[in-house]
Amino acid sequence: MADEIPDQFDRFRRDAGLTRGELWLRYFELGGMSSAFQMEAFLYGALTPSRHDHDVLAHALNERFVELGGNHPVPYVEDVEPV
Amino acid sequence: MISRDDSPDISLEVVGPTAVITLRGQIDRSAVADLGSLLDQVVANGYSSMVLDLASLHSLADPGTSLIADAARRLADGGRQLSIRSPSTPVQRQLEADGLGGFIRDEEFESMTGKAVGDPLRPVGLSDTSQTILPPLPPAGASALPTDDDVIDAALRLVVELARATVGGADGVSASLLRHGRLTTVAASDQTVLDMDAQQYATGEGPCIDASTQGRRFHAPSLDVEHRWPEFTPRAEALGIRAILSSPLVAWGLPVGSLNIYSHQPAAFAPDDQRLAMKFATEASAILTDAGVTATDDLRSERFQASLRSRELIAQAQGVLMERDGLTEDAAFTELRVRSQQSGQTLRARAEEVTGSTRPSASGWGTAGVVDGSSTGEGDHRG
Repeated sequence: MADEIPDQFDRFRRDAGLTRGELWLRYFELGGMSSAFQMEAFLYGALTPSRHDHDVLAHALNERFVELGGNHPVPYVEDVEPV
Repeated sequence: MISRDDSPDISLEVVGPTAVITLRGQIDRSAVADLGSLLDQVVANGYSSMVLDLASLHSLADPGTSLIADAARRLADGGRQLSIRSPSTPVQRQLEADGLGGFIRDEEFESMTGKAVGDPLRPVGLSDTSQTILPPLPPAGASALPTDDDVIDAALRLVVELARATVGGADGVSASLLRHGRLTTVAASDQTVLDMDAQQYATGEGPCIDASTQGRRFHAPSLDVEHRWPEFTPRAEALGIRAILSSPLVAWGLPVGSLNIYSHQPAAFAPDDQRLAMKFATEASAILTDAGVTATDDLRSERFQASLRSRELIAQAQGVLMERDGLTEDAAFTELRVRSQQSGQTLRARAEEVTGSTRPSASGWGTAGVVDGSSTGEGDHRG
């Protein structure tokens, strides 16, 4: 996951056509507890999100991809590590 | 105005019939690849002339100059024009080594800089091509500093042209935007497409309207079996249209318009074409967001209130699941998330079901979020 490509989340964000502000709002909307500043650090791999934060962020992006006719391309924690 | 995040040193701007590509700083090998694909797009896209602004370019990695030479040849083949502006001395030597010396023009590009238009861009032909065709004059308005709307319109025109040229099955493309409270076609590839949009505004229904107001994609793979827009559909068929794909344009998270692709053939859009359409819509949305479209305080505040409500609802649903199923808070979120993904609902819609604020779903596999009830069973879901 984020370990291999540090800015993986940010790449997905750009593919989804979301500004960082808009993504943070969507993350917040789903119950995300980190600040916009912390979330940016997750995007670039400068901070590692908790498992929960990872999934909230992934889901915020995935809901955007669904709106655009896509599926759920952003992996959740359970997709990348054995539970 | 279209700047690519992955190559901030390369940007593309459209001034009238001219595509202006600006290169800055050091263009390394990976950026050269981006430059190559941008050149391909501009060549494919039918601009009557292309300007390469190198005034701030320090160095250009291989095979940058050969890519430019190749683009110059293809432009010349179509009777079109390349001009290169203000390279530094080392870059100029590179260009000359690839036979591009004749394209360098160092005079001011008056029409690009907002100063008075003296004479139009003077064409500089390939040295071994006997014939060059003058590009059309830029429209008079091109000399003035563009207004925000002009910039947005030009960007959307570019997106429409690119989509028309690259999305398989696309016979016509348009971009609609909410302006002054009503939908307007800002860019269209031809008259039929303009008529199609007009029919939707007239009947108040259609995929363009739904995508523009609901902020999600609407795909009508075959109008023969389409029931969602009973008034509009026969009018579209009368114009020879058989399939429509409308992707939302979104600024600041709010729907502001749509990118509409029309085809004369049913089932015209393969999955790859749909993905490409989505790519163009997201690119256009990023432009609209950057340009501050609809980003008024009222709308932002409205959006923020909605976010708070959604957050509260999800927390309540987590509470219900923790209480009912003995889950931890995080496990309750995962439960909601997995169910929403499986059923194609938004997480918020799933949370509403759990808290009982919408119709209950005994099976736990509710369909409240599935509002795109196309008979073709496509995967457009948004609660």
